[in-house]
Amino acid sequence: MANVCEEHIFSSIFKDNSKTVFNYIYYKFGNEEKASDAVQEAFVKLWENCTKVSPEKAKSYLYTVANNLYLNVIKAEKVRLKYADLHSNSINRESPEYVLEEKQFQKKLDDALNALPENQRTTFLLNRIDGKKYSEIAEMEGVSVKAIEKRMHLALKTLREQIDGI
Amino acid sequence: MQENYLAKWLNNELSEKELAEFKKSAEYSSYQRIAEASGKLEAPDFNMDKAWNTFKDGRFDQSPKVVPLHPFKQFLRVAAVIAVLLTGAYIYLNSQDEIFTTQLAERTEVVLPDASEVILNADSRLSFKERKWEDNRNVELDGEAFFKVAKGQRFTVSTDAGTVTVLGTQFNVESRDGFFEVTCYEGLVSVTHNSNEHKLPAGNSFVVINGEIRATDAVTSLAPSWTQNESSFTSIPLKYVLAEFERQFNIEVTTQNINTEQLFTGTFDNTNIDLALKSISTPSQIRFKLEQDKVLFYAEDTP
Repeated sequence: MANVCEEHIFSSIFKDNSKTVFNYIYYKFGNEEKASDAVQEAFVKLWENCTKVSPEKAKSYLYTVANNLYLNVIKAEKVRLKYADLHSNSINRESPEYVLEEKQFQKKLDDALNALPENQRTTFLLNRIDGKKYSEIAEMEGVSVKAIEKRMHLALKTLREQIDGI
Repeated sequence: MQENYLAKWLNNELSEKELAEFKKSAEYSSYQRIAEASGKLEAPDFNMDKAWNTFKDGRFDQSPKVVPLHPFKQFLRVAAVIAVLLTGAYIYLNSQDEIFTTQLAERTEVVLPDASEVILNADSRLSFKERKWEDNRNVELDGEAFFKVAKGQRFTVSTDAGTVTVLGTQFNVESRDGFFEVTCYEGLVSVTHNSNEHKLPAGNSFVVINGEIRATDAVTSLAPSWTQNESSFTSIPLKYVLAEFERQFNIEVTTQNINTEQLFTGTFDNTNIDLALKSISTPSQIRFKLEQDKVLFYAEDTP
């Protein structure tokens, strides 16, 4: 039987999940340092308990540990996200007005995201940035797929209301 | 629109009809824009190689490895289980009684841990604990046995009918249904029957038949006759004599028109059945008919 204690299995779990663990904590609290610490902490715990955690359970184990680590401990900070391709695209055919308008929109989206409740923001960003399926997010958060759909729906609705200024 | 339709829309799960309806709504363009813009979002940089090295430095290199410890851990587990089993088996076997039994028409000699000797008569059972024997010389007897007890601590024979206590002597104990007899051949024996203690000097017998203590004559022999292949009786109801006969020859006895309560005094041979039958029938004035493994005793005047 595959064992998490075997180094090649453990390192592949690390490769597949460390970035998502990092993002997951970052989306929640907006603190890169804490997110990095959470990655270390979660994998140390997994390593220490590698005999008890099966490879299939390792993923949800990691998110549970990372989540519990800062439960009620730190206050959420502002989540800063970057936009891809905005400046790197040298052949920019868009008008300056459009670029300006786009920037303004992104600013609004940023603010709206930060105003979201932590669980809606985390769910929304895990889906939009990390491309996680609802079922995967549900597993990470330990809730039903339906609950994740609800969070997504509410997140979108709130974001639009904020941005449209309702 | 179905529940959580915005989530379904992002996931391309809306039906064509629903999608068309959603597209017509005023908010659609805003949602479309949010979806587009959020799709371009990026999380802060995460250097996985650096994180992996940090983790590795902290774990694999310094701390004692968990993996190599495993075979030993496994070994310890197995060793612990074996140790527990062995200890358990040792205690169990030590606490077990030593048991000796004799079948019908069988006799056996048992040497106890202190070299005391016991001769078990037919159809008897003797048990004792070998552990701490020197401090606690206690045997349980069901049936008949002759004891030659080595000198030492108090030696106790427990039977259903009573207990016999000695220090070192030779005596015979018989305890069967309704019949309890202790005969002392050497030294002094103490018999406790119904919580009454009876001191039995050498050459004396203590007989209880159906709860009634019987007076007995002095014993002159040095050992019970059955150890010399004879069964002797002095004023014993015939039914106990016949029961002994059954035990010695492993045969089934039936009686017809005979008072089995009549007293019998005499001896029969334990090796020769014809001789033994005559020894019983002649003084009692009864007749017998011997078949394969059955014998019928009947009154002389029976047709």
